[in-house]
Amino acid sequence: MVAADEDRLAAADRMANRSGTAQRPNGSTQGKICQFKLVLLGESAVGKSSLVLRFVKGQFHEYQESTIGAAFLTQTICLDDTTVKFEIWDTAGQERYHSLAPMYYRGAQAAIVVYDITNQDTFGRAKTWVKELQRQASPNIVIALAGNKQDLANKRMVEFEEAQTYADENGLLFMETSAKTAMNVNEIFLAIGK
Amino acid sequence: MAKSTYSKVDEYGFQRPDDFDYEMYDNFMSQYMRVLVRRAQRWSTLKGNIYKKTNTLKRFVRKGIPSDRRTEAWMHLSGAQFLKTSSPVSYSLLKKQINNEQIIEIIRIDLPRTFPDNIFFPTDEQLPKMLYNVLAAFAHQNKEVGYCQGLNYIAGLLLLATKDEETSFWLLKALVEQLLPQYYIATMAGLLTDLDVLDELLQKYEPVVHRHIHNVGMPWAMGTTKWFICLFAEVLPTETVFRIWDCLFYEGSKIIFRVAIALIKMHKQEILHTSELGELIGCFKNMRNHRTVVNCHEFMKEVFRLSGNLSNNQIEKLRRKHKK
Repeated sequence: MVAADEDRLAAADRMANRSGTAQRPNGSTQGKICQFKLVLLGESAVGKSSLVLRFVKGQFHEYQESTIGAAFLTQTICLDDTTVKFEIWDTAGQERYHSLAPMYYRGAQAAIVVYDITNQDTFGRAKTWVKELQRQASPNIVIALAGNKQDLANKRMVEFEEAQTYADENGLLFMETSAKTAMNVNEIFLAIGK
Repeated sequence: MAKSTYSKVDEYGFQRPDDFDYEMYDNFMSQYMRVLVRRAQRWSTLKGNIYKKTNTLKRFVRKGIPSDRRTEAWMHLSGAQFLKTSSPVSYSLLKKQINNEQIIEIIRIDLPRTFPDNIFFPTDEQLPKMLYNVLAAFAHQNKEVGYCQGLNYIAGLLLLATKDEETSFWLLKALVEQLLPQYYIATMAGLLTDLDVLDELLQKYEPVVHRHIHNVGMPWAMGTTKWFICLFAEVLPTETVFRIWDCLFYEGSKIIFRVAIALIKMHKQEILHTSELGELIGCFKNMRNHRTVVNCHEFMKEVFRLSGNLSNNQIEKLRRKHKK
């Protein structure tokens, strides 16, 4: 079912693109259209695919299939008088898939680095991703840090303040999110869009 | 004729896509039933040491192993039966050696994330337990691979096909350790090599498509990583995957390239019509709905017709060239 939805989405996208190329993204009189390449990085099972699924389709699956390689999804939203089209790469989290990651973050304008607030190791891994992006990704990349699974705050292992301090020191946007309850999911994507 | 007598899930418990063409499938199945009956008859004429590798057997395998013989045939053709009988350690003993908490934890996290939409996996009490045993036993006896995401899908399909835990374990072991080159180790070196090998093969066999994909700016790995890692599980319809695996167990990893080349050729026009990355990715994602892909019998014929002559020697030479 999910695959079929994605396919319909892809088909809708293709149509949108065809008319889009006729108008050209910039310089049209009907408000600005901007395209945005965004990549999600982070340890396995922190909720990368779930955040994307919530943002793109407003859905949540308790058990989201593990992502192999990467998944590509798009979402178009209106911000003031600008139409923003997100092209989202949702990557595989397991450490050994790391060598494939550069092709997904290369040329990305934004990245969401995700960790699980109930698991300290995933926060460490998030910091490693931030460092790698700062060194290897394009210098203007906007990086957001998402502390996901906020609905499980009673099992919290990473303090909000600790992550906020780290984000401030590194110039990152930061929010705690919950793909399950939808808390801050649209917000974090929109904050990046701005 | 009624619109369709087929359920919304396939015989292995997977949901069919929302836009599944039941009429086309009806037509295909009415022919395919006759094919299956004929293949079963033909297989029953095989006498003596029937798994001795001969041209006849190779042809028989390419035309599909009857499903009631699949488990036995896969075990013999892949070398898994030999692994099992010559192993100094039994499977039940291997299961007793499962003790590494870190490996246990990552496998446990992936269990409910393996085929959550399949009607058997989430409801059956035994299947997830069997999947855990196969993956954990495998990870403990092969430290270089351990657990690699993707193996859950392969082991899951092996369980659905054979309905037997121990058989699935030996088949997984034969696949990962003998039939496929180092796809799943920590560096994934074998995968990275084979991605480059496919790149070069397509440059040779389909230069126009190759140039187009290059111009659109899609690295091959974006479209094909899952083909190699999951052996087309989660990529193509289940019965089509099993027909590919019939050949994979007999002929080895070269089959992956043949299927990949054929898929690209079948979708040549669609690919050439794309003009940007999102469209191109969508085209790769939609390949499972192609008429020929659903008609697994026709598909396998096309695979061998379209991919021409591809020798193991040629593949090995390219692998050495692109070795990581």
